[in-house]
Amino acid sequence: MTTLTSRARTGGDEPAARGRRRSVSPASRARQRRETRAAVLFLLPDSLGLLVFVFVPMVLAIALGFFSLDGFGNLRFIGVANYVRMVGDPQFLQSAVVTVTYLVVLVPAVFVVSLLLALLVQQKAPFMGAIRSALFAPYVVSLVVVGLLWQFMLADRVGILNRMLATVGVRDVSWLGDPQYTLGTVVVISIWFQMGYYMIIFLAGLQDIPGEYYEAARIDGANAWQRFRSITWPLLRPTALFVLITLTIAVITGGFDLIYILTGGGPAGSTSLLVYFVYEQAFLFGEYGYAAAVGSVLVLVLLLWSALMFKLTRGGRLDDE
Amino acid sequence: MTPSSSPGGGPTRRAVLGGAVGALATAAFAGCGRSGAGGDGRPLEFWQFYAPQSQTQPDLAAQNEWFLSAVSDWNAAHPEQVRPVFIPNFTDPSNTRLATAFASGSGPDVFLISPGDFLRYYNGGALLDLRPYMEAEAVDDFIGEVLATRVVGDGVYALPMEVEPLVMFYSRPAWEAAGLSEGDIPTTWDAMLDVAERLTTPQQSGLVFETTPGYFQNFTWYPWLWQGGGDVVDPRTQQATFDSPAARQALDLFGSAIRRGVAPRTLPAAGDVAGAFAEGYAATWQSGIWQVANFRANQPEFDFGVFTLPTPPDGVPRTVLGGWAWCVNARGRDPDAAARFVVETIGSTSDASVERLVQWCSVAKTDMPPRQSVDRRMRAAGVYDDPVMGFFREQALPTGRGEPRYPPVLYKAVSNAIQRVQAAGASPAEQAAEAQAAVEAFLRTYDGGSLV
Repeated sequence: MTTLTSRARTGGDEPAARGRRRSVSPASRARQRRETRAAVLFLLPDSLGLLVFVFVPMVLAIALGFFSLDGFGNLRFIGVANYVRMVGDPQFLQSAVVTVTYLVVLVPAVFVVSLLLALLVQQKAPFMGAIRSALFAPYVVSLVVVGLLWQFMLADRVGILNRMLATVGVRDVSWLGDPQYTLGTVVVISIWFQMGYYMIIFLAGLQDIPGEYYEAARIDGANAWQRFRSITWPLLRPTALFVLITLTIAVITGGFDLIYILTGGGPAGSTSLLVYFVYEQAFLFGEYGYAAAVGSVLVLVLLLWSALMFKLTRGGRLDDE
Repeated sequence: MTPSSSPGGGPTRRAVLGGAVGALATAAFAGCGRSGAGGDGRPLEFWQFYAPQSQTQPDLAAQNEWFLSAVSDWNAAHPEQVRPVFIPNFTDPSNTRLATAFASGSGPDVFLISPGDFLRYYNGGALLDLRPYMEAEAVDDFIGEVLATRVVGDGVYALPMEVEPLVMFYSRPAWEAAGLSEGDIPTTWDAMLDVAERLTTPQQSGLVFETTPGYFQNFTWYPWLWQGGGDVVDPRTQQATFDSPAARQALDLFGSAIRRGVAPRTLPAAGDVAGAFAEGYAATWQSGIWQVANFRANQPEFDFGVFTLPTPPDGVPRTVLGGWAWCVNARGRDPDAAARFVVETIGSTSDASVERLVQWCSVAKTDMPPRQSVDRRMRAAGVYDDPVMGFFREQALPTGRGEPRYPPVLYKAVSNAIQRVQAAGASPAEQAAEAQAAVEAFLRTYDGGSLV
């Protein structure tokens, strides 16, 4: 608004404005230089940090994808061989399938569960603060601890879940050892871990919706579903899009800690997400170039996803204006 | 008055901020510079997982003391000092500490290495040949089967400090509860599965094979493969030999144990053998000699027994010999001094060197000896009079073969086959053929140390 107003004020008097710019005093120019210098100094630490710790490593990682590097300083340019290898690598393809399955199931599940929880905890009821805290609590626990806790609870034969199931005649279910169940188990644990965080984001969005809209709708006789469909959902759209973008990025780049602790990518590769595959290639096999190439593909996918989201939201604007 | 001075003569806020930025940048870059390795007179670093650490558990305290003593003996007699560096979780192949240190050009001068990692470091040019520093008599003193996986051509690239055979551990209370005695100890695979069936209860697994994918699972599976005469790569011809009846039956052993419901899909008690036996979660478990120390330290009253790995029809008794070795970083700061340190400490014919390994294998740990001279002294000292140590020496060790030193691609091909048959119920024949194809493809372009 400020920009538009100042343009409007000066728009009809262009030559005069140029004249004023030409007649800037030396003292004013000196002050402007000092302010520019101060701005540069303020920005320098962050810029240097980003350059050294983000931009340069990112460029190096992408470049590394075109080399064979064994981790002992033996570097050899191999062009796109790592990318060609990826296409024919059954391990990579299996990990890609696992990751897509994980993504397609987990993102909608966390989205829906956290939205429902936000709608629930938005209600005025006794102990609601405590309930919100309890639902958020898993998110503040280290994923390593989360993994260990669930490992104990889901242990074959003697874990608490299997003991409970045994009382109703269900025996010998191996939640972390049977490829039929492992990815599903990891998804459920991930939902449990992440739902509190996204619930809080949805809750913030819900609390921004003016209460008058609901009052008016009630007077008009709208039921709960009609109020949700016509008021809550449209006005929650910016929050929902934000959740969708950040959740997708978190799911693609995260999950490593949990997989590392719970299953080690197994059994039979059933939980080998691409992030775990990258780690395995780099640090277990010393295939740094190949790992960098796979990492670059992941970055590319995320960039495309972000670009798509930006396009759908008209340059990152998440509201309807 | 300059722009950076305040009217009172002191520095302005801008000047202070500018100075702070400069100081931070200087400190940051200076810090980066210090982290690099260099020949700056600092002690040589010896990375391992024993010392220095403050432990009250007797066996760990003894191992810590042994390492500190070995290093201080060297330091007292030589100008080139060595500093032991304790690396937590070093034995886990997924620990990135060593790999990232080498990748950044700052690997340790001396470190412990397992056969599973040997070729990666050897092929990368990171290991120094220790033979020029050793007396021929000392090289011959190492047990051939044990040293073989650390030798390439004429070079000796690591010196084993211990030998760790795999056997079957069993819980006597669990066996007695199932009406079994020592007379029921199985000698064949079929008998082993039958016994395991009798031992299996809703809470207790009758038989435990390793389930977590990784180098260790492959390590535990190799003896079952070898018993039928199979191999991943023929050590003599260096050709892939994985797709064989021996591999198919060994894969099926792991798969059928799960199918019959006698083996678990995940490790009971998170892999703690002594704890699982004591809690009644497992009755029989394939594991290594290191469990003897684990039982003695953590379940000293528990009544456990050991027996050799049963064999398939027409099979021969075989087990695998694990254990860690000392090696020298060829690109370290002073490889010559580091090599002299390693050889003098555990690889010379001196009385001190031999006695040091005797102490390691019989006092600090319960291990089999890597050298014949050490073996003789342990026998003379009555170490093998202990029934368990005697069993390992007389029955397990003679059937042992050194842990293979396969590169990651081969490890992964074998691991996939094991995992798919064991956990996913895949066909052993199909998986053996698939692994064979992967091994063949790898060998077509492989250029490195021999695969043994």
